[in-house]
Amino acid sequence: MKKIAIFTVALALCGGALYTAFALEKAQEETALAQAAQEAKEPQVCFESRKGSSEVTQREIQPGLPNVKCSPTTGAALWYGDPFDGTVPMGKMPGLEQLPEGHAVVRPRSEKLAILPMCGTACHNGVGPTANPPNLPKDKRPTAIPVMESLVPDVKDLQHGRGRIWCLDCHHTTKRDKLVDHFGDPISFDQPQLLCGKCHGDKLRDWRDGIHGKRIGEFASDGKKRWFTCTECHNPHNVQDGERNRGFIQLQPEPPPQLPNGMKDARHELVHPVAH
Amino acid sequence: MTPAQPPSIDSGQTESPSAATPASANPATYAPAPAAPQTSRRSFLKAGGMLSLSSLMGTAALMTQSDDAHAAAEWAEHFQKNYRLMTDQEKLEARVRLERRYSAEYGKPVSVDITGPQPGVLMGYALNIRKCIGCRRCVHACVAENNQSRGTRPGEKIEWIQVLRMERGKFEAEKMDHGYPEGLGIQVGGNAYTPAGQVLEGQFHYNPEAVPEKDATYMPIACMQCEKPPCVKVCPVRTTYREGDGPVVIDYNWCIGCRMCMGACPYWARRINVTTPVLPKAEMNPVTHYLGNRPRMRGVVEKCHWCLQRTRHGRYPACVEVCPVGARKFGNLLDPESEVSKVLERKNVFRLKADLNTFPKFFYFYD
Repeated sequence: MKKIAIFTVALALCGGALYTAFALEKAQEETALAQAAQEAKEPQVCFESRKGSSEVTQREIQPGLPNVKCSPTTGAALWYGDPFDGTVPMGKMPGLEQLPEGHAVVRPRSEKLAILPMCGTACHNGVGPTANPPNLPKDKRPTAIPVMESLVPDVKDLQHGRGRIWCLDCHHTTKRDKLVDHFGDPISFDQPQLLCGKCHGDKLRDWRDGIHGKRIGEFASDGKKRWFTCTECHNPHNVQDGERNRGFIQLQPEPPPQLPNGMKDARHELVHPVAH
Repeated sequence: MTPAQPPSIDSGQTESPSAATPASANPATYAPAPAAPQTSRRSFLKAGGMLSLSSLMGTAALMTQSDDAHAAAEWAEHFQKNYRLMTDQEKLEARVRLERRYSAEYGKPVSVDITGPQPGVLMGYALNIRKCIGCRRCVHACVAENNQSRGTRPGEKIEWIQVLRMERGKFEAEKMDHGYPEGLGIQVGGNAYTPAGQVLEGQFHYNPEAVPEKDATYMPIACMQCEKPPCVKVCPVRTTYREGDGPVVIDYNWCIGCRMCMGACPYWARRINVTTPVLPKAEMNPVTHYLGNRPRMRGVVEKCHWCLQRTRHGRYPACVEVCPVGARKFGNLLDPESEVSKVLERKNVFRLKADLNTFPKFFYFYD
């Protein structure tokens, strides 16, 4: 009887020791998991309309309410908690004067285009490398410059205007951080509609009236809206119809819906045709 | 975390060590209780009395403010009227009750809005069918906003918007036999034996590398918010109805899950929760509306309500905000300056299945 008691005591002690060891290990695992979760929580950046134009960084505006939700499949912005995140007033726009002050906002592109002021001082300063007065090209035929092509890959194959326009029809000759209008006056990169409307007047009218393009915020006609400008949805260097047959670049779609119960794939009807 | 106490030394000295541990801890060592003693009439009545007394006490505990928010809400919900018959006071009580319950359930402050229709507003929607590229962002924005079930098992994944893929082309004699599915021809479905205009799974389960495809047109469909909704006509408990500012809504508490409305809807807009909805706490949208996106229960029908929790406060619906090509337009039909009024004034507009006289407030247009 005593022997059994001793054995049981020993067994119990061993069990206790083992249990504490396991518990310690489990606790360590949990802390490791928590650390991993924190690392994964580093700010998620998702693109908005098209890749390469504008991005939003995810953050919490209220406990449990993010400013934006990103798609885990494609990385696109899927849901806006705060539509006016990081916006500035649009500035003067002919035809929108009746809107209350500050009710038309845009998201500035200055961060994305931080390199542009440098272009105007480094190379495109209106002063040629050898000659003064400016050594600007005599004819308007673009010549391939390796540095330019590496900085802006789009210039190799400009898909806009079907060969009838070139760089300086839209970009300012010397102020490289500006666009240009018909009179040679600079236009901000945040207001490309003033430039695009030079040719696409019908689209500008529809955009101004809210039936072309995208706005987020309040739906009332005089409500506060964030206006998406032309270049946030269209890549101006690549808008001609190509394979896609539309004015937008192709993008990856979000995952398809759930198939009906029992159906293996969407080719079901091809394999089992419906009687006609 | 503190490690649990090691087994007590005392237990080793008893005759059977397993007896010291609770029976529920290890089913293998569970010893059946000794046979029940003969019950006398007195003890039977006594037990019965105790039982009814305790159940009455439980009822009383539920009727008074209980700590268990879920139990209190369940109890009160049984005595709740149809939402349209509730007074403002009753609506407010329901709101407070639901807010307590959802906040406890999802571990964050949840608001349940009961804002009614705003005067001078009749909501309308327009969709540019030429612009749509079929990227399905609207579908998933809707899920993120409206707290749909998002499980992986059959019936657990609910999406309110469907994007149909339609082949581009002309009705040419030599193409008559080459449609989808092969052999049926390009005019799918329409004869006396199969319903006209039926949609087959392959048309909305497309999943190419990139959209838009050259030979395809995409057509998103969801609830059309009809002026004469067939779903409202057939509802036997009148839980679905048209709100004053346009949208057709559902009081989920009165829905009996009979699915009459699903059969009546010509636009395949309604979904039923056949399973208990799967809604992770982290993904739950805490800004909700009573008639809108508050979490649903098992066995009720749900559908698009134009994001009432947003639009009643002047904000665009979630699908409009997320459309990358700006194909979706939303506005007030009574305001001649609104986006939708401008579309109706200037563009070529059609309504889906206009011949059914449902008068949708959802317009398709092209330019």
